[in-house]
Amino acid sequence: MIYSLLVLSSPFSGHCSRSAAEFAHCVIARGHTIHRIFFLDAGTLASAASSVSAQDEDTSLKGWSELADQHGVDLAICITSALKHGMLDQVEADRHERRCATINPLFTVSGLGQLVDACASSDRLITFGG
Amino acid sequence: MTAAPKKTVLIVLRHSPYGSGLAKAALDAALASAAFDQAVDLLFIGDGVLQLQPDQDSTSLGMKNMGRQLASLPLYDIDHVYVDAQAAARYNMDLSKAPLHTRQLDDHEIRQLMVGYDHLLGF
Amino acid sequence: MILHTLNASPSSIAFMDCVNIIAKDDALVLMGDGVYAALADTDASKALQDTDARLYVMAADALAAGVTNLAVAVSRIDMDGLVALTETFPRQQAWY
Repeated sequence: MIYSLLVLSSPFSGHCSRSAAEFAHCVIARGHTIHRIFFLDAGTLASAASSVSAQDEDTSLKGWSELADQHGVDLAICITSALKHGMLDQVEADRHERRCATINPLFTVSGLGQLVDACASSDRLITFGG
Repeated sequence: MTAAPKKTVLIVLRHSPYGSGLAKAALDAALASAAFDQAVDLLFIGDGVLQLQPDQDSTSLGMKNMGRQLASLPLYDIDHVYVDAQAAARYNMDLSKAPLHTRQLDDHEIRQLMVGYDHLLGF
Repeated sequence: MILHTLNASPSSIAFMDCVNIIAKDDALVLMGDGVYAALADTDASKALQDTDARLYVMAADALAAGVTNLAVAVSRIDMDGLVALTETFPRQQAWY
C-alpha cells in the first residue's frame, strides 16, 4: 500500500513527532511505500537544523533523517508554516534577507499542493497531531 | 500533480479559530485542495464550531479574521460543510448567523459522514 | 470502520469528542497522554469500554507514563501493531 503522513506536532512538545518517524520506519519495514511526509504548522519545526538537545535525550531528527537518507522518503515542509516558524532553506533566506538557512537540507520547502497530491496518491493518509 | 483517481477527503476542524495555528492550517489545506480541483468537505466538531461564531473582529489581535475567510469558501466550490449540532448548542450558537451555511449533524450522523471518505484530515 | 488515535488526556475535549463519535466497528489507539484513559477502574476507561470499540494502547507510551494497570478491554500494541491496524482500517481520525 502507499502511505502518506501529515505531521502537525512540534518535535519539541511531547513525543508525537518522534513516534511519527518511528511509524514511518515500520510502514517501510512492513513492505509498504511512503509517497510523502508533509509537515504543517508546528510540525515544520522537525526540519530545524540547529536544535541542540540534551545528551541523554533522543530527538526526532535522527528518525526523519534516516527516512530521507536510507529510503529516499520525501520530507516536505509547508512553506507558509515553515516561514512563520523560522524554517528557511537558502532560497527563502535570500528572498527574505535572513542571515542563513535554518533547515536540515534533507527537508524540502513545498506548497500545500504537495499535501493535496499526497491525499490523491495514497491509500492511507495518517495524521499525527498534539 | 499525478493523474491518480481522486480520493475523497473530509477536513475535520476541532480547534477554535485563534487559540492555535490549526484553524488557519486547515483553511489553507481546504483552499489548496480547491485550487488543485480536488473536492474537499469540511466538518466542524467540538470546539471547531467556534470558528463559525458570528461577528468575529480580530483586527486588534493583528490576525486575519477567520469568519471572513470561511465566508469566502463557497467561492471556491467548497460548499459541503457540516457542523456538530450538539457543540453548537453547547455554545448557544445561532448558526443562521454563521459565516457559512452548514448542515447540522448529531453524533451518529457525524460518524456516518466520516465513514464515507477515503481520508480524514484532523486539524 | 475508522481507526481513531487519541493523543490527549481523558480530561480533554478531544477525549469527549472521540467517545461521542466512536462506534463498535471502530478501533481506538491511545498514545501520548491518551494512555491515561487506559487506567483500570476509572470513569475514562469505563466510558471507552462502553463504546464496544476495539481498544489499544501504545506500549512504550504506557510504560513511560507508569500506566501498567490496564483496563481489561485494552490491549498493548507496539508500532508494528499500529501499522497493522492502519492496514485493516481504511481511514484514521486523529484526536488531540
